[in-house]
Amino acid sequence: MEILNVMKKRQKKNRTGRMAGDQNSVILSIGRVKKVAIQLLMILAVVIYVLPFYWMMLKMFRTSIFAHFPPNLNPLSGTSLSNFAQNLGSVWSFGSFPRWYFNSIFVTLVVLFSSVIVGSLAGYAFARLNFRGREMIFYTVLGTLMIPFPVVSVASYVFMLDIGWLSTYQGIIIPEIASALNVFLFRQYFLTIPKEVEEAAKLDGLNPFQIFTKISAPMAKPAFAASFIYTFIGSWNNFLWPLMVIHSKSLYTLPLVLNFFKGVNGVQIYWNEMMTVVFLTLLPTLIIYAIFERYFVEGISFTGLKG
Amino acid sequence: MLSTGRQNKKSLKLNDGVESRFGYALIAPLLLLIVVFIFFPAIFSFAISLFYYNPFGHQIHFAGISNYAEVLHSSLFALAVLNVMYYTAVVVTLQTILAFSLAMLFNFRFRITRMSRALVFIPAITSPVALSIIFIWVFSRQGMVNYFLSMVGVQPINFFFSTTFAFPAIMAMNIFSTAPYFMVMYLAGLQAIPPHILEAASLDGIRSGWKRFRYIYAPMLSFTTFLVVVLGVIGSMQLFDQVFVITGGGPANATYVPLIYIYNRAFIYFGTLGVSSAASFILFTVIMAVTLLQRKYLKELRWA
Repeated sequence: MEILNVMKKRQKKNRTGRMAGDQNSVILSIGRVKKVAIQLLMILAVVIYVLPFYWMMLKMFRTSIFAHFPPNLNPLSGTSLSNFAQNLGSVWSFGSFPRWYFNSIFVTLVVLFSSVIVGSLAGYAFARLNFRGREMIFYTVLGTLMIPFPVVSVASYVFMLDIGWLSTYQGIIIPEIASALNVFLFRQYFLTIPKEVEEAAKLDGLNPFQIFTKISAPMAKPAFAASFIYTFIGSWNNFLWPLMVIHSKSLYTLPLVLNFFKGVNGVQIYWNEMMTVVFLTLLPTLIIYAIFERYFVEGISFTGLKG
Repeated sequence: MLSTGRQNKKSLKLNDGVESRFGYALIAPLLLLIVVFIFFPAIFSFAISLFYYNPFGHQIHFAGISNYAEVLHSSLFALAVLNVMYYTAVVVTLQTILAFSLAMLFNFRFRITRMSRALVFIPAITSPVALSIIFIWVFSRQGMVNYFLSMVGVQPINFFFSTTFAFPAIMAMNIFSTAPYFMVMYLAGLQAIPPHILEAASLDGIRSGWKRFRYIYAPMLSFTTFLVVVLGVIGSMQLFDQVFVITGGGPANATYVPLIYIYNRAFIYFGTLGVSSAASFILFTVIMAVTLLQRKYLKELRWA
């Protein structure tokens, strides 16, 4: 057990060491004028990137359904909390909105937990356990990343039709669970944990299952966090598969609701209510992002890819 | 590994049997899901492409390669392929340049850097459908782009209703929203460059921005660029959500792309699932070919 503590400390040291390296990446001295110019550029980039979202937020607090020209970007003109409550009220009572919100949450949660569990177990096996055909199976699994989903989507749809899973929760959820990306991410992470830790645990008499649950999995928290956030975003934002497999409005998930709401009043989009729906769709993503932001970036750097 | 280590690991021999069985148990759920929901549909999809198949009328008969012939002779599919290639060329080039520029900018550490970077990243995690809806406004007659254009005296343009501007507007939106994702990959690449290299280069007279780009960043980030380009190409060829939500392939097929063709043949004109599957296989072949070509290029530059 003592080895474990040493290893944990070493991991921590590496992490802080790497961050110190980050700080040094502003190399060579830059003049004061340049410093100001660079920061102004950063602010400009942020303004450009945030402006569409900012307008969306303002629109939620206004009553007019129209997009006016020129765009009114003054946060104090025409906005009020009671307008927001009114927009929220009409969106919430539109169709079966609470049910749709629940659908999205339910589908994402089930996909999330199944996918992370299935991925971490397999990733651990591929990194650490010896069994015949391990490498071959791993590369076959990794190869599925090369098959774009749209290629199998039509056949998957027919398959769902044949087994009677069209317009069912299992039809949306189960085909989404297998994620080669999660497997890869976990395998890469487990490979970085020194083998001696597990060997020591083995000598202590722990069986492979205990080694995984008590030693290895707790050490792989960053991998769990990264795969958690990728899977969340992938599933929450998924559009094509639900579009194919859901033919009953009561099972709509939020991306389908957005698309449906867009056309519900013909050509005219009710922008105040539309932006409220957009915001409600975005809100859980933003919360998760705020919590896991650090791991998100780390995940990209240690796998170098995303589906 | 099992056979070579046996002598030294006599005491662990019993454990190894357990370990092997445990290994299979851990990968079993994954393999089951992959076989049933990826391999089987992939093979099934190929089978469908060889048949005339209408699952609702229960009509099915062998069609040979006639579905492939129909796709390859279809002027609509040809247009879709041309459109997506044009889209890919423009989007991948510009988003790579933008991602690199953003990374260079956000590689400077100030108090505001972390927060700014996090905000810029938001479009990359936003649902493409939600983003499409926001951009319907951005490019609408009353939208932000027309507002800025009106400041320089340009008459308002109805971007998504114009055959000239609809596709470029979708391109602009996707360049804007995907670049931050690739920016993070470039940032990881930049941070892997040891600071002493820049210091040494500076002593050798490589101080100007252009020279540093030419002699340090470009060669040292070439692998990152390769990844960014490959992932960008694979993603671009599968363009669907944004087009489906914003224009549906119109106006006058100006934004028609292969996945819209595949979707329409499967879900709008029922009974042409075989054609739809044939089109997906052709698209798959094109994506594979492009990826392999890029890999070959990579090997020639001795990265792999």
